[in-house]
Amino acid sequence: MTRLSGGLIDRNSSFSFTFDGKTYTGHQGDTLASALLANGVRLMGRSFKYHRPRGVVAAGSEEPNAMVELRSGARTEPNTRATVAELYDGLVAKSQNRTGSLAFDALGVNDYFAPFFAAGFYYKTFMWPRAFWEKLYEPMIRRAAGLGRLSMQADPDSYDKGFLHCDVLVIGGGAAGLAAALTAARAGAQVILCDEDFRLGGRLLAESHRLDGAPATDWISTLEAEFETLPNLRVMRRTTVFGVYDHGIYGAVERVSDHVVEPGNKVRQTLWRITAKRAVLAAGATERHIPFADNDRPGVMLGGAMRAYANRWAVTPTQSAKDPVAIFTNNDDGHRTALDLMSKNVPILGVIDSRENAPRFGDYDLFSGAMVTGTKGRLGLRDIEITKGGVASWHRCAALGVSGGWNPNVHLASHHRGRPVWDDTLLSFVPGADGPAGLIPAGACVGLGSTAKALADGAKAAGIALAELGIKTPEVALPDAEDMPVSQADFWHVPGKKRAWVDFQNDVTVKDISLAHKENMKPVEHLKRWTTLGMATDQGKTSNVSALAVMAELTGKSIPQTGTTIFRPPYTGVSLSVLGGGDTGVNFRPRRLTPTHTWAKSQGAEFVEVGQWMRAQYFPQAGETDWRESVDRETKAVRVGVGLCDVTTLGKVDVQGADAGEFLNRMYSNMMGTVAVGKVRYGLMLREDGFAYDDGTCARLGEDHYVVTTTTANAGLVYRNMEFARQCLWPELDVQLISTTDAWAQIAVAGPKSRLLLERVVDEFDLSNDAFPFMGCAELTVCKGLRARLFRISFSGELAYEIAVPARYGNALMARLMELGADLGAAPYGTEALGVLRIEKGHAAGAELNGQTTAAMLGLGRMVSAKKDSIGAVMSRREGLARDARRLVGLQPVGSTERLMAGSHLFTQGTAHSMETDQGWVTSACYSPHVGGYIGLGYLENGDTRMDEEIIAANPIEGSEMRLRVVPAHFVDPEGERLRD
Amino acid sequence: MTDLTPITALGGTIARVETFGALSLTENPAMALASLALRKGQSVPSPFGMTLPEPGKWTKSGAIGVYWMAKDQWMVEAEGRAEEDFARVLKAEVPEASVTEQTDGWAAIEITSSKGAAPIKALLEKLVNIDAGAFTQGSALRTGLDHMSVFLIRRAEDRLAVWGMRSSTETLWHALAVAARRLEDI
Repeated sequence: MTRLSGGLIDRNSSFSFTFDGKTYTGHQGDTLASALLANGVRLMGRSFKYHRPRGVVAAGSEEPNAMVELRSGARTEPNTRATVAELYDGLVAKSQNRTGSLAFDALGVNDYFAPFFAAGFYYKTFMWPRAFWEKLYEPMIRRAAGLGRLSMQADPDSYDKGFLHCDVLVIGGGAAGLAAALTAARAGAQVILCDEDFRLGGRLLAESHRLDGAPATDWISTLEAEFETLPNLRVMRRTTVFGVYDHGIYGAVERVSDHVVEPGNKVRQTLWRITAKRAVLAAGATERHIPFADNDRPGVMLGGAMRAYANRWAVTPTQSAKDPVAIFTNNDDGHRTALDLMSKNVPILGVIDSRENAPRFGDYDLFSGAMVTGTKGRLGLRDIEITKGGVASWHRCAALGVSGGWNPNVHLASHHRGRPVWDDTLLSFVPGADGPAGLIPAGACVGLGSTAKALADGAKAAGIALAELGIKTPEVALPDAEDMPVSQADFWHVPGKKRAWVDFQNDVTVKDISLAHKENMKPVEHLKRWTTLGMATDQGKTSNVSALAVMAELTGKSIPQTGTTIFRPPYTGVSLSVLGGGDTGVNFRPRRLTPTHTWAKSQGAEFVEVGQWMRAQYFPQAGETDWRESVDRETKAVRVGVGLCDVTTLGKVDVQGADAGEFLNRMYSNMMGTVAVGKVRYGLMLREDGFAYDDGTCARLGEDHYVVTTTTANAGLVYRNMEFARQCLWPELDVQLISTTDAWAQIAVAGPKSRLLLERVVDEFDLSNDAFPFMGCAELTVCKGLRARLFRISFSGELAYEIAVPARYGNALMARLMELGADLGAAPYGTEALGVLRIEKGHAAGAELNGQTTAAMLGLGRMVSAKKDSIGAVMSRREGLARDARRLVGLQPVGSTERLMAGSHLFTQGTAHSMETDQGWVTSACYSPHVGGYIGLGYLENGDTRMDEEIIAANPIEGSEMRLRVVPAHFVDPEGERLRD
Repeated sequence: MTDLTPITALGGTIARVETFGALSLTENPAMALASLALRKGQSVPSPFGMTLPEPGKWTKSGAIGVYWMAKDQWMVEAEGRAEEDFARVLKAEVPEASVTEQTDGWAAIEITSSKGAAPIKALLEKLVNIDAGAFTQGSALRTGLDHMSVFLIRRAEDRLAVWGMRSSTETLWHALAVAARRLEDI
């Protein structure tokens, strides 16, 4: 045990947890990393390429090494940073990326082959033979060079999303963030404060500095008490703001129950979209290390992290509290770690400072102008080599803190292509002026890292935000705090021949960067790809700037000339589950049910997804073993008796206004304004480019009242286009539009006995052919006074009607029609039979209106009226479209009972089957009970002049072909007598 | 009166009610709805003696509620009149305007809170990208909710109505119920 005194842990609590199957205990307030260190566990993982033993490097979300598989079973989460995994009783974690045990990793052999895994390894090595790529190389690489593993089970937890709006969003709850939130909240602004930690305070929790002479936690507690009383302030702990998006929208993930064994009724995480008028970025800074030979052993960590472990969690990364600890630094801040450790009675080997004449801050051995040039210790640090004045000496040392200076966390300020700028005094990048609009960086993330400066700058940033919003800034008294200037040397890495790690997570060394330089991968974006520097889960938070410095040294350019790679969201890893928003399965997207859905379900219907709609596909009856049996029966029922089909899904648009007729003339290619009141007309709509895109009917219910119907698929599109035309193209027309698709349940009543059936439900309405002929429409009542609309239109070619009632009555009307039509052979039919009926009749549907067809191809060329202009009319006459000679024809197999496949291509007999000789294709095909065989529709070159010709339908994918006879596209009642009967 | 038996948007013969902590969801199939759109150049009428509300607003007088929908367009609600031809009643009030029956184009779900405004605000925050704090009594707007287009009406500090497309009411109910259930603790 290496627990020290003090710390922000609750020693009265005892949490039991396991790591690689072994049980340990920790306390409330621990992270997994601090608890493991407290138990003397330093070895926490294996490195990515070389499988080198690794321990924890950092104390926050920047951690590159200590990644574990957290939890077990389906809840296993790979690549979880032990440094941010909040400890709870019952936590289960496993180390990852190892073959065998963590202490003996068989793939540790990779380390001996390091020369092969140098920069550009992937690009150079696995190029050939090509056939080996998928079968051999990829699985091998995936196995060897991986991070954690997925459970391969479905995630059992729930995820949520939400939306918040505020005046000021404060990102980060350290000194600057707390001062900003306090200032903005006291001003009365709507404020949200987010921090990724489970406890507010940021770096204040990790330091021994006092505020107003008292521990910083006193001030934080007072503040938290005040926050509780401010209804305009929302404090969100365990919430990481991971990205800045357009228009002041920030993405944030709240880890609602990552710190409990199982979420129970709660969600695991929530994705928040926060719309903020202004934001204060108080993201702090991340310490960088100084690469030196063999600097990756467990026990070597960032100096600031070592201080954080000692102060906040009361642990050291040693195996015994008696072991000596050393500090390697190029700046004053490193000395603080030594002082804090000394105050907790940790034995200090000394401070190794790269600067000649390094300052002294306390009573410890100071190695001025010295460097650490090597380490020993198989699974953890045991000795370090200190070189001073060219003389090297080995020293027993159990832990080494490395302080290379602090990099402001410019990440979010560099979204929206903001470019960080180099500060020669700070020797680091700071946020540029071209970052996201409305985002004001403050505190350590602009380089103002002393506690006093951070507090003041946070308050100042809030003041700027408030002023821009026209809110008065209150006077806020900030506590007295340390304001020590920190001097630093321009010293980036220890020169040497052995491997010195820059990027721990990706196993990138100084030598790799040097090799990349030799191979001319000098631009920073190339360097990143060639060496994998700064990739994967930590995105190089502790390594990027050091790597740039090394490359700058090699090229002789400055660091700012070398430049940074582009910063993109997310700041830290975000699970796909939380981005998915929660619902899976049936509620993944909206599902629309027809008004007769309940009834259809009770009849055992099979349903099919049609866009968002669930439509009855067919209604199997007892004894039917194959869907075709059901469909054939339903089709025949319509041809000989009467069939019923819910057609509510077809779009309906109510069009009113004095200019409604003129408006429709311009929307439809054919004349529509002239349809008489009480009549329906078939209409065709073209796109702007002249292709046909939708067809349907238009009923005129009154002098200035029309109802447009669309196809199911295009209901939304047609309505949108109509709205666009009304508002933007012809605002001078008096037209009012509104969708009524859902308002009316519409049932097709089709078949020779449809009139007989309808006569049984209408209230005193004359349905005779004279009184209500084909293409008539009327408003009437049915079933004793229910308002309804009746249209005499036919998709099947039979005598047919569509009857509409308020949607809530659709279910009952369907049941009533079935009941009253029992003696007439009434049968429900689904979309399959609907399809067969319309193919038999030669009616176009989605397969024919596929966006590549002209009115002429559909045989509807004359429907593009030359007497008026309409959308797409002019473009439909352009040569390329007008010249298209393909025409819709009927197709019937010759001498074959094989199934005709839609999608087959058509060829003249005796020609080769190629693109050049292609004559068209089969758009729709089905088995026709009426014909007694397969039939199809298709587009054929000059099809209208090739009746009775035999052609070939080729299905090259399956290697089959079939002879077809070209016939008129009306297999049923070509004269159209039945529907006019 | 017709002898057909209507069903609600959720497929039942009676309105569905579910309570989650402070929040109750109730299907409101009795609410009639009709759209009112002005003809070009028409002066703004006062149906049922009411002043038509400004954008983003809802007003109520007796059993009639009106909310703004688009430029020169409103939705008119009538409590307990869904079985009538309410569009005809409204047309008689505004004979010059275009009126369209919308009762079954939509389905209303009324949400009530037993603990004042806070649960309603928390629910809104989980569902829609609007400034929930500013959506006070008398506010109405159209927005997206789980990929569905809905109208929201803040009938009172502790009451919220959601009008969703009738055909997707099952999905809408699911979204509302799941969000309400997750707020049971507050």
